[in-house]
Amino acid sequence: MLEHVLNGLYYGSILFMIASGMTIIFGVLGILNLAHGELYALGAFCAFSIVGFVAGQVAAPTGPATTIVFGLVVLAGSLAAAAVLLPVGGALEAAFIRPIYDRDEVYQLLLTYGLLLVLTDVMKFVWGPSPVDVGVFSAINEIPTTELVGFSYPSYNVLVILIGVAVFAWLAWFFDRTKTGRIVRATAINREMSTAIGVSTDRMFTLVFAIGAFFAGFGGAMVSIGPSSASLGMGLSWLVLSFVVIVIGGLGSLKGAFVGALLVGVSSRVVTPYYPQLELAVPFLLMVLVLLVRPEGLYGTWGEIQ
Amino acid sequence: MTTGPTTAADSGGIDRRTLLKTVGGSALAVALAGCTELLEDGEDSLADADVPDEPIESGLQTFTEGAPSVLGVQAQYGAETAVRRINENGGIAGREMNLDVVEEGGAYLTNYQQFVDEGKDVTFGPISSSGHAEMVPEIEAQEVINVSTDGTVTTLYEEDFPDVTYSFRFQNHDVMEALAAVMQAVEVLGADSIDTYAGINPNYAFGQDEMDLFSRGIEALTGAEEVYSGFPDLGTGDMSTHITEVNGEAPDVVFSSCWGGDATLLLEQGHANGMFDAVDLLVGPVLYGSANDLSEDLVDGPIYSGSRNFYWGEPSTDQWSPAADLVSEVEDEYGVVPTAHFMSGYGAVTAWATAAEKAVSLLGRWPEQEELATVLENHGFFTPAGYHTIGADHQGYSNAHFGELTWSDDHDAAALSDVNVFAAKNVSPPPGETSADWIGSW
Repeated sequence: MLEHVLNGLYYGSILFMIASGMTIIFGVLGILNLAHGELYALGAFCAFSIVGFVAGQVAAPTGPATTIVFGLVVLAGSLAAAAVLLPVGGALEAAFIRPIYDRDEVYQLLLTYGLLLVLTDVMKFVWGPSPVDVGVFSAINEIPTTELVGFSYPSYNVLVILIGVAVFAWLAWFFDRTKTGRIVRATAINREMSTAIGVSTDRMFTLVFAIGAFFAGFGGAMVSIGPSSASLGMGLSWLVLSFVVIVIGGLGSLKGAFVGALLVGVSSRVVTPYYPQLELAVPFLLMVLVLLVRPEGLYGTWGEIQ
Repeated sequence: MTTGPTTAADSGGIDRRTLLKTVGGSALAVALAGCTELLEDGEDSLADADVPDEPIESGLQTFTEGAPSVLGVQAQYGAETAVRRINENGGIAGREMNLDVVEEGGAYLTNYQQFVDEGKDVTFGPISSSGHAEMVPEIEAQEVINVSTDGTVTTLYEEDFPDVTYSFRFQNHDVMEALAAVMQAVEVLGADSIDTYAGINPNYAFGQDEMDLFSRGIEALTGAEEVYSGFPDLGTGDMSTHITEVNGEAPDVVFSSCWGGDATLLLEQGHANGMFDAVDLLVGPVLYGSANDLSEDLVDGPIYSGSRNFYWGEPSTDQWSPAADLVSEVEDEYGVVPTAHFMSGYGAVTAWATAAEKAVSLLGRWPEQEELATVLENHGFFTPAGYHTIGADHQGYSNAHFGELTWSDDHDAAALSDVNVFAAKNVSPPPGETSADWIGSW
């Protein structure tokens, strides 16, 4: 059972990294970004190129110390891959999203769906139609983690869980404790008032979209350095599950996204061995249950980052 | 029943006379078998046939992008190679062939209808089992022959569409590869040593069909008990739950029909979670379909894979050079090792092309769709993979291959060693009998 719970925490952590970006964007901008899954995929492809390059610059790990160094290099490469999404996200917001903030939701959905298709073609043009694999997964698993306490479990999974917690902690700190984060929250709560006191909502919105894209890309990078390959279309299923997560947690709630992602991850992994046919259904059953009991989601304050 | 596999040495070679007699002396058939050197004395008996001048228009739908493209692009390469060889050898009864390739993902019916609207003479594909099942009624309604490259669910022609005219399938169907996996497991471990088995298969028609047939077969041959069966979503990003369960049960044999990115994921997470220390054997009918995407560390362990109706090292290259020539050609042209999915495309085109030429030879003119469909039934032909037949049930029958997953430094790709070749009659039911009934009668 412990291993299933760990599997769920691992899966939920990946899910949180992707869903966090989506809930931030929705919470502040009010945009349901259908292209979010492709931003995640773009991060995975960037990781293939960047992590592949930087990992090739260091010697193959031969012992615990060199393995840890290798792991840090891979992590730095993953952050660099996600950083590519900062200007990409900012440019997308400034060029395409900004003109439609005041339009009906259907325009937002159509536009972001169009961006989804464009981004897919861009990735196909740059990296080709076939899956690509960074090939560092087995080396990451050489990093000593659980075996130090007499338990065998893939180190990659452990690191993803730890990184997921770190991402949540950083986001909570950013939005709660920093001036910029508080301005972003204030803008989300009342745009007019924020503008009246001199906040540039354009710049805030661009920043928020870029941060959302960064975390989507970071999720993609973490998947890409793991057992999966980067491939076209990889964002679709994660996009759907991200919607489920932010609905469970409450649209716009960071804490909700974290708890929702872990709930989806753990419940699906714990239920599957006993009821394999429910593997795909569990997240949706959970969503229905939450909507029946708390229609606003577990921590939902619609339209606000919390 | 006979269950013993044959090795390359047993399967024997084929001499020039036998080959030419078998393929009717047709230059095209010999060329598609990869034996153009035998054409020196060939005669063109089709010169007087009433055949249109226009090129043959054909269409292939396959996965050209995303995770399934691991298989789909191989099928595309195969079909393109066959068409290239056809045109380099004078066409089909003098007619050159054009091939349009489209992405099949989620648009099986639309693609087929589009091909028909464009006036295609023949269509090929899809890879998807569910897509193929969706297409069959439309193929019968439109009356334009389709030769499926894969789409291998056994019940398709056995139960769902037992009486079709224009729908054909070249690649071996599920029962052949599931039973080849059973026999491979029995050969490696011994029937008495297999008490338990488990399965991790993709959650759709193909994976469920394969697991069902494997279960029937291994229980009939060994009396083994199923201890776990999981069905992760096709294209999933995580199989750790299923692997954890398998590790907990520690079965003697694990069966997995995962393919493409799923196959790579299974091996990656299997190694990371110690699955190959917990089980005695993993048998996977299509793991080798990802040959060009596997790394050397992934093929380590007690892992045996099928390779459907083609493995490039069988028949033995010292007796059947067309396979070796094909590998060289494909590596030069596309930079990959051809897998069974390459042969899915190559064989589907070859089946139709050789049948079309045979029909022209018989009729003295280009055949109508119905006439060509009649010729395709019980049609036999060679490819570099060996000899194939399209049965009266419209299903293709060829040898099934299975071997231990290993690594080839020469090709810088995964390879198979100790390859067993299972004759079609040993891994598929006799005509008129369903696979389930046949296995039940063992």
